[in-house]
Amino acid sequence: MKKVFCVLASFVLIAFSCVEAFAAGINSGEQSVLKQMNTPANMQGNLVYVPASYVNQAEAHFNTIDMTKKQADEINSLISQGRSFLESTGKKSVSELTGAEKKKLLQYASAAAGVLNLTAVGGSDTSRVKIIGKDGEVIIDDSGSVIKTTGRTTTSASFDFDIIVTVAGIIAIISMGAITIIKTRNLVLNDE
Amino acid sequence: MMNNKKSKKIKHVSLIVVPLLFCFIMCVGIAGVLAPQLPKLIPIVNMFMSDKQVDYSTGYENIFVPTTSSGDTVNAEDVEFPRIDKQFGELSIKGRKVSAKLFFGDGAVPLRNGVGVYAGSFIPGYGKTVLIAGHNNTYFNGLKNVKKNDIVEINTSYGNYQYEITTTKILSADDSSAYDLTKKEENLVMYTCYPFDELGLTEKRFFVYAKKISGPEIVGLYE
Repeated sequence: MKKVFCVLASFVLIAFSCVEAFAAGINSGEQSVLKQMNTPANMQGNLVYVPASYVNQAEAHFNTIDMTKKQADEINSLISQGRSFLESTGKKSVSELTGAEKKKLLQYASAAAGVLNLTAVGGSDTSRVKIIGKDGEVIIDDSGSVIKTTGRTTTSASFDFDIIVTVAGIIAIISMGAITIIKTRNLVLNDE
Repeated sequence: MMNNKKSKKIKHVSLIVVPLLFCFIMCVGIAGVLAPQLPKLIPIVNMFMSDKQVDYSTGYENIFVPTTSSGDTVNAEDVEFPRIDKQFGELSIKGRKVSAKLFFGDGAVPLRNGVGVYAGSFIPGYGKTVLIAGHNNTYFNGLKNVKKNDIVEINTSYGNYQYEITTTKILSADDSSAYDLTKKEENLVMYTCYPFDELGLTEKRFFVYAKKISGPEIVGLYE
């Protein structure tokens, strides 16, 4: 009996652990959410889209989960409400929104993320949103630029030769100046 | 007597004038010497004075297992889609000193340990834009050696890809015309900070563009 129970328990564990492995692809619910995200808000004749980078990050995440039809419907409803709210503000762009309006918009994003047990975090001005998982894993991050800083870092820097030469030059100039002053002072004092 | 007094006065005045003149010459001299280096020095100071918390962790998860499969397609169900900060492949350009682990995401961990695919772009085989970042002093320093028609090899657990370099461009970091994240055709864009041997942060980026020439297309993505 114990063995049978162990085998059954193993099957259950394997089934749960395999959910993500079989979550590849974008199901119809996920496709409807992406479509909803790609629908622009009409702000006084100005069509405002969710940035492509944002939609693409959502698609990348959808490839690792399996959204149910119910979840997709809830998210679509919240996105639609958010878009209606945006259009009702009477503003022409997101940057024109007041702090309170941006917070309200963030609430729709938070509610939509919450459907998937994710958390939406607004930036300092709440105009940019980051969506993170339960373990702090970043799912969508629109707070940084697309093109990153890829210059040298302090952790791997080997200082440039020209900078070393510059610093050495400055030290040399200061030393020579100091010697000149000392000599001048000595001459003056000796004369006295 | 008068001459002695005059001489003493001149000497006392020189005690004030010489240091002042020295300070002035030094200031002008240092400013003159430093002026060309200021764009380099300011970012260096910023690196040490930054109020942002720096992530020095090197830990990451690796889902890359080399494969020899050479089909034209791979089913989406057979692809383990990477999550952010996971290594899922390798990238190399033979003869150009470019060889790096390939990560999903282009944050601190990927760029310290290899090169990273921007999460707002797509993985190889997806049929869309693959935007990859790397540091100019480490894994992407070799990009300065690349030439048109060079082959970029990307190996993943689900297939091996080859891209042919078509062009390179030096553009501003905030020039959004450098990439197209909505493109429906597979294209590879690699970039790093420019100039290559600059210390600290730079305003320009060196972009390398390549077209896909082989590798399996991921099918069955949209059920």
